[in-house]
Amino acid sequence: MKKALTLALGILTSVGGFFDVGNIATCTQAGARFRFQLIWAMLLATIVVIFLVEMSGRFAAVTGKALPDAIREHFGFGFWLVPFVILTLIHILVIAAEIGGMSFALHLVTGLPLPLFALPSAILVWLFLWRSTFSAIENSTSFLGLITLCFVAAAVWLRPPIHEVLRGSLPSMPSGSAANYWYIAVSIVGAVIAPFLFYFFSSGAVEVGWDRSYIPVNRAVAVIGMGFGSVISIAAIIVAGAVLAPRGIRVDDFHQAALMLTQAFPHWGFALFAVSMGVACFGAAVEVALSTSYTFAQTFGWNWGEDLDPAEDARFTLVYTVSLFVGSLFVLVGFDPLKLTLLTMFISAAVLPFVAAPMLLLMNDRMLLRDASNGIISNIAAALIVVMTLVLAVVSIPLAVMGGS
Amino acid sequence: MPEELEIIRDLLDKQLVDREETKMGRADGIVLALDGDGPPRIDRLELGFVVLARRMHPKVEKWFEALRRRWSVRKSARQMVPWSKVLDITPKHIQLDVNALETPAFDWERWLRDHIVTKIPGANGE
Repeated sequence: MKKALTLALGILTSVGGFFDVGNIATCTQAGARFRFQLIWAMLLATIVVIFLVEMSGRFAAVTGKALPDAIREHFGFGFWLVPFVILTLIHILVIAAEIGGMSFALHLVTGLPLPLFALPSAILVWLFLWRSTFSAIENSTSFLGLITLCFVAAAVWLRPPIHEVLRGSLPSMPSGSAANYWYIAVSIVGAVIAPFLFYFFSSGAVEVGWDRSYIPVNRAVAVIGMGFGSVISIAAIIVAGAVLAPRGIRVDDFHQAALMLTQAFPHWGFALFAVSMGVACFGAAVEVALSTSYTFAQTFGWNWGEDLDPAEDARFTLVYTVSLFVGSLFVLVGFDPLKLTLLTMFISAAVLPFVAAPMLLLMNDRMLLRDASNGIISNIAAALIVVMTLVLAVVSIPLAVMGGS
Repeated sequence: MPEELEIIRDLLDKQLVDREETKMGRADGIVLALDGDGPPRIDRLELGFVVLARRMHPKVEKWFEALRRRWSVRKSARQMVPWSKVLDITPKHIQLDVNALETPAFDWERWLRDHIVTKIPGANGE
């Protein structure tokens, strides 16, 4: 029973890391501009993320170590330093984007100016981290995250043409601007395969004390948890494709996305969107802030754990406190949440090889994992993933320049 | 304790824990001693930002030294743990015969705890 409950870790990782401000942005843009044509990109990203999450969980279950810990230990400080610094910047930018998303949700509900909510949102996340234990965070966030299922309800209610949805599940040539099409395809993949997802998931598995006996559970958690995020994201593409695209609404601003649920739920569609966005961004902010602390503590070998009281791991606590504060400043000074989100996704797509390549090597280290090291299927997948992340890293910057409008 | 160790693979950058298994930093540096004609032996492990900085560049080390002198929370920039304090080496960590709370590795932790964290309500989880 206890093992069945650990599903919450997967759902939490998914609510936080999968369906967050980045996904809301890319899915609604994809649907609004190319209807169902980009569903394949989400499916591809889902398969990739399931493999990588499964590997990071298996690694933690067998070695009792999370990924940042193992990367510093096995590749040395010199190797880890550059990705560590870049990832810290990404962590802070993502926190900024999620706080932007939360502030936007509060702005939608109240009508007050968005930057006003930057500090309160950051403080809300901080209070939650300050007072909670890991399992409380796990359970409450995954429970709240169920609200995002309203996208699935809307997608079903709208009765999209099934053959078109199925055709979108396979890659095809774009019906409109090619640069824009590939730009959104890359940003979908970049939004889903967020580097912190794996650091968070493996650290979480260490926090809840997984051991070898959790290997099958881990597999189920990876598939179901990430599947959950994927179904909601695909539903968001379908809703945007069915509602926004026919009206020619291009999502250049989150306000335009906020209308997408009103066709299915005339009275409370607007509120549902705001609440879903608020909850998803809150979950993500919690996850990313924790991930920042995990990465720092493990890099320098500090005492760490969300289950310890703040007085027992002061440095761990300090890292998430400072990151949340710095992140909220971006929103406070008026950075547009959508632009911030898109920028962050492209930077994180560019550093993915630094995340994927060490993981592939660690997963094949038989001195560490013995019989639990990667099998042939995982290795083929991992090799393809590394190649894919390299391609993404190379194309992301030029695409961001060419296709960004 | 394993019979053979590879210094880089099995010791450098590894997690250090104290008697109570409290995490207290990583093996940021390893110092060998050469005395007389005998083979070199491991003299001590070193911990601290300055030790890491030195691995990058002597200039960076100087900066960190200067920073530390400016805000001298830590009594010494590098903490040295003689090899004789090593209790056990497992795949997970290196266990040392010390109490982490009393070592310089915890200077910052202690300072933050006493000056900032415990000043905020709820830090002790009551």
